[in-house]
Amino acid sequence: MASPSRKIGRAWPNWALAILGLVTVTTAACTFASPGQPSGMAERSRWGTSAVFTPAHATAGDAIAAFFDSRPDTVAQPFDFSHQIHLGKGAVCTDCHTGVEQGPRAGIPTVNTCMICHSQIATDRPLIIKLAEMQEKGLDLAWNRVYDYQPQAHVRFNHAPHVRAEVACSTCHGNQAEQTVARRAVDMNMAFCVNCHKAKQVSNDCLTCHY
Amino acid sequence: MAYRWGMAVDIDKCTGCEACVTACHAENNIPTVGAGQASRGRAMHWIRVERYYEGSFPDVRLKFRPVLCQQCDNAPCEAVCPTYAAHQNEDGLNAQVYNRCIGTRYCANACTYNVRFFNFFNPEWPKPLHLQLNPDVSIREVGVMEKCTFCVQRIKAAKTEATAAQRELVDGALQPACAQACPTTAIIFGDLNDPESRVARLARSPRGTKLLEDLGAEPKITYLQKQPWHEPDAY
Repeated sequence: MASPSRKIGRAWPNWALAILGLVTVTTAACTFASPGQPSGMAERSRWGTSAVFTPAHATAGDAIAAFFDSRPDTVAQPFDFSHQIHLGKGAVCTDCHTGVEQGPRAGIPTVNTCMICHSQIATDRPLIIKLAEMQEKGLDLAWNRVYDYQPQAHVRFNHAPHVRAEVACSTCHGNQAEQTVARRAVDMNMAFCVNCHKAKQVSNDCLTCHY
Repeated sequence: MAYRWGMAVDIDKCTGCEACVTACHAENNIPTVGAGQASRGRAMHWIRVERYYEGSFPDVRLKFRPVLCQQCDNAPCEAVCPTYAAHQNEDGLNAQVYNRCIGTRYCANACTYNVRFFNFFNPEWPKPLHLQLNPDVSIREVGVMEKCTFCVQRIKAAKTEATAAQRELVDGALQPACAQACPTTAIIFGDLNDPESRVARLARSPRGTKLLEDLGAEPKITYLQKQPWHEPDAY
């Protein structure tokens, strides 16, 4: 009598099953040893494998995704904010991203920033009414970052010196006037940064960015 | 002109209070590993205060020597790194690039001063200490080597600020956390390329010695003391 399990046993010899199991366990270990800043720390194993799978990729999955260039360039947001409309009406980047000239972070505007203009403009639109209600309740929108670097890249970036060096916002963030919801239009890898630093003859020392 | 960061530590002023150690841990997100792992030599202190006893009871005199990365000009750690993670940068800093480090630990073995530390674990902080981490400093993960950076994040911030204001960095405007925390100002930090800076003047002082100078690592930290060091009493 040939049971189904015996059939599988014949098709897959023991050594092949052992290798399959080993690969599965190793891949799982790589995937679950997720690296990161304090927020992600709870998931990490204290005794786990290195958070850095390769210097560029945290996990085997990341490496495969990068190889096929399958990183999604959109991020889910609370609502579809249109950069196109706002820039078209004459607003400039620094009106809302106010931190960009002062320090490292450009900053994502709060509801209060929206209401500086929208207490007067387009007050009858359903989204604006919602915003006004949120401001009254003291709530804020949970925007998600579009551009970010992985913590294990150990990269520091400061917006202010780049703005002072007259690097246009669109150099790194694409032409937002053509975009509705912000999406990752430029692939910021190390070559992207280094090429510009070379062209502008600024320091390419490792400690310029990595510390 | 490029900077050449250096330090002078006045041993006669040091009281061994270890404020520098605490400040360094807070500034640089250095994790603690617990008593068990510390007893196995896995504790990480980018700066430590060594104790030396001179004389015999009751005439005992205590001396303290804060030891941190000496940022050597001829650093033994750099020569052995297979990935150039440890290298000399243009400001004379002995840089450690975490991205490049593959954790061979050759540098820690080569280091004359025992100031390089290996991350045997992913760092953890007991709550609520995880909320006080410095956002300007990387969290180093398991498998990479780390060491004193002369607070490179502060150097970087001060340089950026100076460039924004279109001026040169002023001597004393920039301090690493250990120097800032030192209650007796035993630790002086500055630019050795500027002959008039405080640290450059102290480095020329006849009281100055370098740690294990005869080994030829050419450290950039000068230890100042009035009396010669009595090595035989060092235990």
